[in-house]
Amino acid sequence: MGPFENSLAVSASGMEAQALRLRYISENLANADTPGYRRKTAPFEAELDGGQATGRVELGRVELDRSDLTRVFDPGSPLADPNGYYDGSNVDMVIEIADAREAQRSYEANLKLFDQARQMSQSLLELLRR
Amino acid sequence: MFESPAVMGMASALARNAGARLGAIAENVANADTPGYRAKDGKPFSEVYGTDPGLLLRATRPGHLSAAGGESFTAISDRPGGHMSPNGNNVSLEGEMVAAADVRRDHDLALTIYKTSLGILRASLGRR
Repeated sequence: MGPFENSLAVSASGMEAQALRLRYISENLANADTPGYRRKTAPFEAELDGGQATGRVELGRVELDRSDLTRVFDPGSPLADPNGYYDGSNVDMVIEIADAREAQRSYEANLKLFDQARQMSQSLLELLRR
Repeated sequence: MFESPAVMGMASALARNAGARLGAIAENVANADTPGYRAKDGKPFSEVYGTDPGLLLRATRPGHLSAAGGESFTAISDRPGGHMSPNGNNVSLEGEMVAAADVRRDHDLALTIYKTSLGILRASLGRR
């Protein structure tokens, strides 16, 4: 049963990391029009236990995208400078949507393997029946 | 598992091989987006089972050196080749799905053989 339990834990950690990534993506999308908002990114990292890789994956520290903010022309806004511009966010909808798709695809792959490990260990237990 | 007829020992080794490979595949898929991650895999059963047991050291006690035993079926190593993406990761989800289907078939095969052998043993004992 050892390898199956390990597989289940690893797949679950993958799903958790992808779900968290999807959360950051939705935060970015929700704040696409917030002045001065910088998009959040988080790297995937191998989880370490006492310096030893466990095989599980986790999301690292959130970092802010340092690229330039978009300049929005709106002389009527209270945030506008003398030229009529203010800083928007640096969220690019296309990048976020592509990222969300990738997260979904990886999540489904993890889910499929989780299900397979579960079914395989169950069929092993079936041997004990009758 | 009960391994005294050779066919049952073989089936149990195949099941253990499939379980270990599934662990490696689960790790690959979980790390499909981790920069710098290299895909792992166990060797297919046909490659690891070919070793002649007559030439290996015999281990009759836990303290004895054992050359092969059950361990070699479950050995995991880096999988060579694969397309490397710009972030240094060479996991392909499609490839992992194919490998997972392969492992599933191996495991089902092993359990079916085991169950059938058990049925034959039962029949020889006069039970159903």
